[in-house]
Amino acid sequence: MNTIVFSSPSIPARTRKIPGNMAIWAAILAEMSEFAIMFIVYFLAKVHNPQVFSEGPTKLSTLAGTANTLIMLTSSFFVVRAVIAMRQNKADTSARWLWAAVACGALYLIIKLFEYQWNTSQGLSTETNIFYAVYYYVTFNHFLHVGWGTAAIIWVIYRLKTNIYTQEEHEGLINIALYWHMIDLAWITIFPLLYVIR
Amino acid sequence: MHNSHIKLINYLWVFLILLTLFSAYMAERATPGLTSVCIMAIVLAIKGRIIVDYFMELKEAHVILRALMRIYFYVIPALIILVYLFPEEIAKWTVL
Repeated sequence: MNTIVFSSPSIPARTRKIPGNMAIWAAILAEMSEFAIMFIVYFLAKVHNPQVFSEGPTKLSTLAGTANTLIMLTSSFFVVRAVIAMRQNKADTSARWLWAAVACGALYLIIKLFEYQWNTSQGLSTETNIFYAVYYYVTFNHFLHVGWGTAAIIWVIYRLKTNIYTQEEHEGLINIALYWHMIDLAWITIFPLLYVIR
Repeated sequence: MHNSHIKLINYLWVFLILLTLFSAYMAERATPGLTSVCIMAIVLAIKGRIIVDYFMELKEAHVILRALMRIYFYVIPALIILVYLFPEEIAKWTVL
């Protein structure tokens, strides 16, 4: 990945690399903190409402949650392969991997909408109980991240196609790749908390 | 970029998929209890570590950045287990 290297001579070079740029890391750490606050809210609500949180996941669609986890992990894999292709100076291949990631993002959004519709048909809403209030708050927040993350990947594909990135300089691609992995990290945490652990 | 690196990334993706399918199986079949909660926490820690180290390429990156990202996947799994083991105590400490 494109890197920033701090100039401190006391730290070995390999421990000073920063993939992408500082701005994207400020954004990633801020977003990870935002999700951490949501997870703390989940834990606190859970200890105060153990019965509700034990029963809550049983009424959600494990299939939808699992499918979206597989899709998010696969999209992250596609993004890694896009970065590798760019380093090999294969811009067209890189763009194809990114389009595959965009397809995953779109599929995730479609499945999530079907899941929300299915929940509604089961009578589940933010008003049902605190478990579903937390579920909707966390998952809709993540839904928005996938939405703008997908749009950002499309922007990077446009930049790739207009030859703005080169084998040596493609920091924009790296930054979006890192941001997408952050969205993936948030989802792999949400999945066990809301769908698996009873 | 060596082919061995691409192979490693491919294998890690397959491993992540298998871990997710295992989690889904646990969600549907396993009896809720300490063992299944611990397994889920460990699975989350492993998945997070793989993405941080290999997909985000922080394994050999700046030590503070790597630590900040790795610690997330120690703390959240630890909280999962603590909340399962001591729900009443934590509830008592967190009343306004």
